[in-house]
Amino acid sequence: MPPRTCALCNDARAILKRPKTGQQICKDCFFWVFETEVHNTIVEAGLFKPGDRVAIGASGGKDSTVLAHVMKTLNDRYDYGLELFLLSIDEGITGYRDDSLETVKRNQQQYDMPLKILSYDEIFGWTMDAIVSQVGKKNNCTFCGVFRRQALDRGAASLHVDHIVTGHNADDIAETVLMNIMRGDIARLGRCTMICTQGEDTIKRSKPFKYAYEKEIVMYAYFKKLDYFSTECIYSPDAYRGHARAFLKDLEAARPSAIIDIIHSGEAFEVREEVKATQKSQQTCKRCGYMSSNDLCKACTLLEGLERGMAQAAITDRARKRLDAEGPAPDNLRTIPFFQNSTTPGTSTPVALETPS
Amino acid sequence: MSCGNPTVESDALMPRRKKYDKTRQCVRCKLSTGNVVIRYAVYCKECFFPLITHKFRRSLEPSVNERPQGPRRTALKPAGNLLVGFSGGLGSTVLLDLVHRCYVSMDQSTMPSDGGKQHPRHEKIWKRVSVCYVEIAGAFPGMQDSSPDVETLIAQHDGVDLISLRIQDAFDPAWWQRVAGRPALSDLDFDLTTEGTSPLTLLLSYPYGRHTELHLIFNPSSSSTPLEKLQAYLASLPTATAVHSTIQNLIRLLLLHTALQTQSSHLVLGTSLTSLAMSLISGVSQGRGFNLKEEMQEEWVPSVPDPAEDVSSITTRRRYVRVIRPLRDVGRKECTLWTWWTGLRVVAAVRPPWVGARQDIGTLTHDFITGLERDYPSTVSTIVRTCAKVAPKGEVSGLCLLCARPVQHGIQEWKSRISIRTRDVPDAGEQSSAQVPAPLAPHLCYACHTTLTSKSSRPPPALYPEISRSSVAPAPVWVLSFMTDREMFQTSRMNEQDQRNTLKDFLLED
Ligand SMILES: [Zn+2]
Ligand SMILES: [Zn+2]
Ligand SMILES: [Zn+2]
Ligand SMILES: [Zn+2]
Repeated sequence: MPPRTCALCNDARAILKRPKTGQQICKDCFFWVFETEVHNTIVEAGLFKPGDRVAIGASGGKDSTVLAHVMKTLNDRYDYGLELFLLSIDEGITGYRDDSLETVKRNQQQYDMPLKILSYDEIFGWTMDAIVSQVGKKNNCTFCGVFRRQALDRGAASLHVDHIVTGHNADDIAETVLMNIMRGDIARLGRCTMICTQGEDTIKRSKPFKYAYEKEIVMYAYFKKLDYFSTECIYSPDAYRGHARAFLKDLEAARPSAIIDIIHSGEAFEVREEVKATQKSQQTCKRCGYMSSNDLCKACTLLEGLERGMAQAAITDRARKRLDAEGPAPDNLRTIPFFQNSTTPGTSTPVALETPS
Repeated sequence: MSCGNPTVESDALMPRRKKYDKTRQCVRCKLSTGNVVIRYAVYCKECFFPLITHKFRRSLEPSVNERPQGPRRTALKPAGNLLVGFSGGLGSTVLLDLVHRCYVSMDQSTMPSDGGKQHPRHEKIWKRVSVCYVEIAGAFPGMQDSSPDVETLIAQHDGVDLISLRIQDAFDPAWWQRVAGRPALSDLDFDLTTEGTSPLTLLLSYPYGRHTELHLIFNPSSSSTPLEKLQAYLASLPTATAVHSTIQNLIRLLLLHTALQTQSSHLVLGTSLTSLAMSLISGVSQGRGFNLKEEMQEEWVPSVPDPAEDVSSITTRRRYVRVIRPLRDVGRKECTLWTWWTGLRVVAAVRPPWVGARQDIGTLTHDFITGLERDYPSTVSTIVRTCAKVAPKGEVSGLCLLCARPVQHGIQEWKSRISIRTRDVPDAGEQSSAQVPAPLAPHLCYACHTTLTSKSSRPPPALYPEISRSSVAPAPVWVLSFMTDREMFQTSRMNEQDQRNTLKDFLLED
């Protein structure tokens, strides 16, 4: 068979088949489409303005490693005028983070970006290892998800950034759309396809890789020779999400556009007005000041359950009631430091950044 | 992201509940021992029938009158007749039985016990009840033709008549003449005499060579039969998913036009709760999010509403068909029980004999939901409830040429922004040139555009060994009638000769 020419430039030899479109294209065109689609996503959503301080949620995994590279590239190429930071969370899982934090530290030097590492232990007084030893391997993703979100916001606040960008990719979002429909989570269904979310007084969070296929992120890292750690969390995710993920992989195999088609579906509808009216409004957590839909935020509830040896409390309503029945939280309960947004002048404390090694 | 599970925020857990409550006594009569468990509640056989009949009436009757009315006692006066879309499958077998008992044979056991004989429900609601069956064997070689069985079955139901169609009727100008009361092209200014006796057909032309877009072109029709056109159309589709969703869509439009023809204001379908959940997830997976509403209940108007008209009064002045799924609260298991206890036979429940079906998103969804339902019995009702809470977002830019549902504004821009397929900067001069045939994309909804253009990494096994996949294919007959309302028709009419010259090197020989 004669060598194929690239479907995009009609010039160079095609060396890869693009997972998203099936087109056979050359390496340069692949970099170009991948980066341009991310740029289009950023521009269309009006994510940034010149002078913004933006933290990249960096885990050392493929998504955030490629995100750091692409953010740096686009910031230079299109003169976004952003001040970029790396923000890393150490969950405290033995043997899981150590190597990937090395990747993040290397990125800090390569891209010349300031790095901040924040640990669960530091904020919540609990490592994931300690949590797992109490709650077992089931449900621990609930803890990890809630804690990571708050940890990122707290880290961002201490860096005085306006914005956190995370490496959530199209596969993650499509999977979440399906999950939210199947478990009836109407509030999250309305939110999960948004590129940018912002609570009352938290920092903006956005997902520039919203339309980027996981396979293409891996491909980008491969051709750019970016090294990353492809560690899957050693604590297994819940079975239901596992089913949804496997289903999405089948759909993608049947028709690769399925991932983008699901996201399009998710963007094409919104929660009906009558339903919105019945949803809980956002308030701030009475204990830690973080945004919450109840008196206590998810993290504080989880933490109280852990501290009082009733870790299931925030997972099911019934367990929460049992916790309440046990009486109010003891005064000496370990709690999360009160949340203060960096954008409020005068309240911020100096930041201790990691020193480049 | 780092964790294998990045998007977990919280509450990601589905409760696994026990299959039934502690008591084994029927929750309805509280006397008999239960025979069946429906969503955690136990019912006895005697109570099962009124329960299902109640669910059926509750899903249909509030939508019978042209305007929904509050008090339940008001007389039901539909604007037209009733058409039952009958597939021969499980759900439509139960649906036909219920429609016949409740509205045709007036089976007393299905009537509400309150209100006595004077209750308005005891009067006939529908002047005429027809059943429309669409035989799809023409699409799949080797598939058994079930229409004789369907004819026998319907003949056993007094008071309903059968309209038996074939899927290839969607490509038959004679069928269109029958339902629309006018030839497929009578509204167009074509000089039919110059084309000989055979009418023109409309062809879909796929991205090919330098053309990166779908187009519509006119072509002097060959002497192809409707069946040959159907098969050429299906063979041109890029994926197994496209074949299946196209067949579903052809059936849907055949039914809708038959509803208009029979002056039916209501078309009822036998979609059970389980199959509704499947079609919603499958629809979402194919980009049909904007039309989820129509997937549940649809008020179909056969042409584009004039924006100047008062939308609220459209139904009073236009012909419309209200599509209702009266079994949307009845699960597949309950349907099976209904047929089992009533001794009904399901005449056509087999999957089409095509290996390509394994790569169909609808089939994958079916298998996925079936598995999920086993472990999490509330999944299907949760899916349907969730989808009932969303509404389409954004503006409508007309009706889709292929599925005749609202098209969301701006989808082509969306697609080209996030899924770049060309590095060429569009040249305005070239675009407006008379050499370019009518672009089809602006007149398609997201899902139909995806159906025609989205490829799989492996092409599906050929449906018909003797027909090769072509870059042009005949379009269904209603596409032509649709175009009369549109400005795109003007362009294509003026350029017809030019188009033919431009395209002659890739138009297939007839
Ligand atoms: Zn190229
Ligand atoms: Zn809190
Ligand atoms: Zn009973
Ligand atoms: Zn359509």
